[in-house]
Amino acid sequence: MRTWLLALLIIVVSSLVYSQDAPSRSVWDGVYTEDQARNGQQLYNQHCMACHGGSLTGGEQAPPLAGGEFLANWNGLTVGDLFDRIRTTMPLNNPQSLNRETNAGILSYILSVNRFPAGQVELPSRGEVLKLIRLEAERPSAK
Amino acid sequence: MFRGIGKLIFISGLLGAALALSAQTRFKDTEWPTHGADLAGSRYRPLDQINASNFNKLEIAWHFRTENIGNRPEFKLEGTPLMIGGVLYATAGSRRAAVALDAATGELLWVHGEHEGARGAAAPRQLSGRGLAYWTDGKEERILYVTPGYRLICLDAKTGGLVKNFGKEGVVDLKLEIDQNIALVDGEIGLQSAPVVAKDTIIIGAAFREGMTAKSMRNNKGYVRGFDVRTGKRLWIFHTIPMKGEPGYDTWEKGSAEYTGNNGVWTQITVDEQLGLVYLPVESPTGDYYGGHRPGNNLYGESLVCVDLKTGQRKWFYQLVHHPLWDMDISSAPLLADINVDGRAIKAVAQPTKQGILYVFDRATGQPVWPIEERPVEKGDVPGEWYAPTQPFPTKPPAYSRNGVTPDILIDFTPALHDQAMTIAAKYKLGPVFTPPTASKANGLLATLTLGTAGGGSNWWGASYDPELHMVFASASNASLTPIGLIHSPKEVSDMDYILGTDGQEVRIARGPGENAGADAAPLPRATAPAPTNPLNVQGLPLVKPPYGTLSAINLDKGEIAWQVPHGETPDVVRNHSLLKGMNLPRTGQPGGVVTAVTKTLVLAGDPQVTTTADHPRGAMLRAYDKLTGKEVGAVYMPAQQSGGIMTYMVNGKQYIVVAVSGGAYSGEYIAYSLPSAD
Repeated sequence: MRTWLLALLIIVVSSLVYSQDAPSRSVWDGVYTEDQARNGQQLYNQHCMACHGGSLTGGEQAPPLAGGEFLANWNGLTVGDLFDRIRTTMPLNNPQSLNRETNAGILSYILSVNRFPAGQVELPSRGEVLKLIRLEAERPSAK
Repeated sequence: MFRGIGKLIFISGLLGAALALSAQTRFKDTEWPTHGADLAGSRYRPLDQINASNFNKLEIAWHFRTENIGNRPEFKLEGTPLMIGGVLYATAGSRRAAVALDAATGELLWVHGEHEGARGAAAPRQLSGRGLAYWTDGKEERILYVTPGYRLICLDAKTGGLVKNFGKEGVVDLKLEIDQNIALVDGEIGLQSAPVVAKDTIIIGAAFREGMTAKSMRNNKGYVRGFDVRTGKRLWIFHTIPMKGEPGYDTWEKGSAEYTGNNGVWTQITVDEQLGLVYLPVESPTGDYYGGHRPGNNLYGESLVCVDLKTGQRKWFYQLVHHPLWDMDISSAPLLADINVDGRAIKAVAQPTKQGILYVFDRATGQPVWPIEERPVEKGDVPGEWYAPTQPFPTKPPAYSRNGVTPDILIDFTPALHDQAMTIAAKYKLGPVFTPPTASKANGLLATLTLGTAGGGSNWWGASYDPELHMVFASASNASLTPIGLIHSPKEVSDMDYILGTDGQEVRIARGPGENAGADAAPLPRATAPAPTNPLNVQGLPLVKPPYGTLSAINLDKGEIAWQVPHGETPDVVRNHSLLKGMNLPRTGQPGGVVTAVTKTLVLAGDPQVTTTADHPRGAMLRAYDKLTGKEVGAVYMPAQQSGGIMTYMVNGKQYIVVAVSGGAYSGEYIAYSLPSAD
């Protein structure tokens, strides 16, 4: 009896998790907050702007973090892929020196400059959760 | 002297018979022995096993991932490998290691990396670089490359071990014997290009941080040097900023040659061994966009300079841009071309440029093949600036990419989009090539909107040359907009009077990679301005109309563009844009450019961006064009965009095409394509 109840509980919890995370979240669903992006801008200015530029347009050595070329690179992947790229390789001469919250803040600012809408909940800082958010360049048509 | 450099030498395997070069000193045309295929920079091999009839059958023969070479993956693989005697040599990874691979299988034969510590971290040009050089006297074989920390490394090509009798234990410290004092650890100078070796002389240039917002009008100078390939001894030096008493010193008024720096040769150098001449494409002097602290024409800034291979003595020069103000570094290898113009045989040199102008000279004398006219150009309004009254305009060939911004090139898919583009453009000064930078005003013009400046045209990837057709093939960006606005610089930011910026916005200094990012670095002041917008697009679409990037064939006998096609799949942001639904758009090409290669019948070039289409998953296409007509005759899938070189060779009777790909989430990889064995 207890085993049966436990099994039921697991099914219910799993389906709840699934319904919240898995199906259709994308960067168009308000995946960061305005405050987070505002703070993220300070972090960006401190850690990233030197190479990627004040308007995220990149430089001779650093790729742009906004606009068509940037979106071409990441369209169809997940926010988690971009987060991992930043986490493991940036800043260029001191990689992995920034903590996850800092990286998430910077990422939220990058999303805001790319005109993806803000929402009510902060962008998480766990890579596996961010992998559930699709990065889509074009806003999906209304259902 | 320089301490703390550990050595990572990993030698594996025997190279076997494939490496045995015996007494061969002349290379076969099935090999790719220098960065540009030959010292003329042609990127041409007369191979034809892969051709229009079978290009689509190409398969990946092998691929070499670079992410574990160095302490982190690299996403900016720009190298062009060499192939000699069945062995492929390349630079790779975030530490810029040299690797040797079996050219038929991709098997790693050896890898050599240098741990440069703080010196590497402070380097202005990091990551894997653009390649290396090979030298042999028929007995010894050597590999030469420059580390991020600006040290010239000489390796035994057979083992990857340091050649102990070269320099000091196989290393020449390039920050020494450079006719100026440069701090060994953090002195700003480096080089990302491949060294050139000609007649036992290694030629080395120099690169610096990006110069858009220089912290100072003073910097180190980018001299060019020749070294003995056997000993590493310095043979000569050429002062790209003349010293007092040298010709050209007077083109730096108010003594500005004494403190101005840069003017390096950061891209590939070309050599005519027969004539004993070296062709140096020189970059901009300190301060890409403001020259008020360096009045005068500033030789040899943005010039093509020819020097003697044995002595480094100047033979001739031509300044392509007087008093540089637009970041029009001469950014790619000059191309040596033996052409026939109006019945006259000319040994020519053709220089592709960011401004999309191909400058063509007699390479022995420096005389223009077609007249170059000095035409008056507009004077700007930036206080303290010195303006050259004229600039050189070749009468032939015509520009092969856009080099100015005028209303007629703004987006026009619909009248509404064009109107929106005009509204954005109204905040900028528009005009043709050499329209001067603007003093930025929040309530006036923000900047001069330019094309063919920082982003090219033809940037470092340059062009290739077909010695049979006398044709140059150039990939060029048509849509890399750069606004050039100048603001008065606070003294705590830069000692220059004006730097790049926008009036009313926070002063932003472009630094070297990772600078100010270390644990001990002081945080920057908090930004007070609102989040920057990205105004140079219209609802996510490029501000300018297609083609965004092109591949052009330029006939050097006639000085004419033979054909020009958009290069690259239409970008996703354009193809899928909701406002363009239902429109039948021809292929737009992509912003950016790529390295090209030429075979007996084809021009090879990969897409510079990734796309996802109905025909292929997320990735990019490697394309083959009929070199006579520009018609695309085949395309094969790559998992990421072409970010670096492309080259071809034959080994064991089989032709291979190797391309460097990386970008976004895809770390650097060399991919070799060949035809299926059954064919």
